[in-house]
Amino acid sequence: MRPQLILRVAAKEILSTLRDQRAIISNLLIPLIVLPVVMLGLPLLLGGLFQREQTTVTSVGIAGEANLPAELASLLKAQNVGLQKVDDPEAAVRDGTVPVAIGVPADFAGKVTSGAGADLTLYSKPGNMKSELNANKIQQAVQDYSRQLVSGRLRAAGLNPDILQPVHVQSVDASSAAEKRSGQLSWLIPFFIAIWTLTGGQMTAIDATAGEKERGTLEALLVTPIRRTEVVTGKFLATVTFGLSAAVMAIVGYVVGGAIVGSAFTPHLGGQAADLVQVMGGSLDISPTSVLLLLVSALLLAGTISALLLSITMFARSFKEAQSYVAPLSILLILPAVGLQFKDLLGFGDGIYMVPVFNALVLMDDIVKGTASSGPVLTTWLTLLVVIVLLLAFANRNFHREGVIFRV
Amino acid sequence: MISANGIGKSFDGVRAVDALSFHVAAGEVYGLLGPNGAGKTTTLRILATLLLPDTGSAEVAGFDTVRQAERVRRSIGVVNGGMGLYDRLTGRETLHYFGRLYGMRPGAIEARIAALDEMLELGEDILSRRAAGYSSGMKQKIVIARAVLHDPPVIFFDEATSGLDVVARRAVLDFVRRYPGEERAVVYSTHVMTEVEELCDRACIIYRGRKIAEGGIGELIEAGGGGTLEDAFFRLVEGNGVRAAGPRDASGVERAL
Repeated sequence: MRPQLILRVAAKEILSTLRDQRAIISNLLIPLIVLPVVMLGLPLLLGGLFQREQTTVTSVGIAGEANLPAELASLLKAQNVGLQKVDDPEAAVRDGTVPVAIGVPADFAGKVTSGAGADLTLYSKPGNMKSELNANKIQQAVQDYSRQLVSGRLRAAGLNPDILQPVHVQSVDASSAAEKRSGQLSWLIPFFIAIWTLTGGQMTAIDATAGEKERGTLEALLVTPIRRTEVVTGKFLATVTFGLSAAVMAIVGYVVGGAIVGSAFTPHLGGQAADLVQVMGGSLDISPTSVLLLLVSALLLAGTISALLLSITMFARSFKEAQSYVAPLSILLILPAVGLQFKDLLGFGDGIYMVPVFNALVLMDDIVKGTASSGPVLTTWLTLLVVIVLLLAFANRNFHREGVIFRV
Repeated sequence: MISANGIGKSFDGVRAVDALSFHVAAGEVYGLLGPNGAGKTTTLRILATLLLPDTGSAEVAGFDTVRQAERVRRSIGVVNGGMGLYDRLTGRETLHYFGRLYGMRPGAIEARIAALDEMLELGEDILSRRAAGYSSGMKQKIVIARAVLHDPPVIFFDEATSGLDVVARRAVLDFVRRYPGEERAVVYSTHVMTEVEELCDRACIIYRGRKIAEGGIGELIEAGGGGTLEDAFFRLVEGNGVRAAGPRDASGVERAL
């Protein structure tokens, strides 16, 4: 093997991919900019809308306002609810005059005072976000009112209101600092690396194999003194480079985007929006050792996926045919990556670290959470290395087969 | 310079090349003439080390195509009609890429590009433009330049003018006519009779993988009963148990341009 020739092939493939606008958009721009904007921007936007709905005064329809006790009226006001008289509350909600409405019967106050169950009718549109948010405000006010009434009555009877809840549960978060900080990123990082390695690497892999056949450049390459093993290795390096770069871009975009959004926007929004952004990446803090472990694991995962891509796309005669071969791989990667969320429930043993690809996903999840130990790290890395070597040997063997190279 | 000794090759039980033997001396342009599917491309691919022969052996520039494949590849250039270029590389980048694969230094590649520029009239327009914007003629010029960049003693042309317009085709033919010197040999494979008549010193008529006749153009015409090479071709093929019912019916050979 002559490294200078391998690097020459890899450099040509990299240059070729860099000049492909589609590759730049899908490998660099989407993971770096579009993905964080969508994944962080959407919760931010929704959080902001929820926040606005909760902090602004909304007009709510009411029929029978005269029957509404003053205490309940003030609790509704505290929830930023303004009351607007309507004759037919159901019709008012149906035709959109108000998002929600309440109907207070004439005997409401009397029944409340006597201790009999009093009915209050709430009209809303389930499925309509604005209606549901305002219905929640009313329910909260009614709950507070009920609590006040019960407390008052118990005290009047000489009883402590706490008798209604004899046992209190104190929850303590016992997870490590790394686990707390990782939030949802613990599974999103391996998920991104797997998916973006596949997405980023496939264009290079297809172009370097089926694309060469389709263009008629493969024969010209193979009549040069370069050995086919060197060609396969060069193409593999280029595929790994693009696969890994897309994955790194996705993570950088996500973490940096999360940090920017977390520091610049959430203080102004607060509440749910801040929580969402924080969980999605605003608080990620990984030690240098973990970063190194993560990088090696990501590199080996990218190597495995790239070798797999080359092995498969080599059989195709055209770009389109290769794409149809690669498409099912996304499902094969997405399913185990999503399954990481339920890792604790599924209760994998140490044997999981010998299952190629999935082992890398589980290990990276461990690393981000700060729970990785040397045994699983070495098992995973060794398994992936063996798989890469086997897949490359398979690709190399096929690259020597006349039926594969000259398949028409 | 080139020696094929009883080479044979089958694909899925179909004999593509059957015990084919021929020899090409330095300074010669040797034609492989036959219809589509006759086994010409398979023969050239065996000589270019892309395919392994099932039977027989071949030598190119003194090297065995199986045991010394890498040395053979250093000694050959290949131009075929279906060969493409990397769309996103310029002509100059393509030549540098292949030059480096041949072990040439950048300075030597540039010097060779300058020589080929003169020989093939490449021009800065072709060298600096990406291949995606090439006409078929421009593309074929770079394909030829790529094949002879390392100045190989042997060059194979396989249906090199197919799909080219008349100007581009003329450029290819002119190059083939000029290229061989005392130390070089060309094998020119085609199904176009007039190209063989125009370019080749000797030719071999191949049909269904077998050699039907071999010799100088005049000898082939004489062996086929006189007339044109095309007439002789059909008579030679019919004489080998194949009926040529019409201009393209039996063999697919193109009778007229």
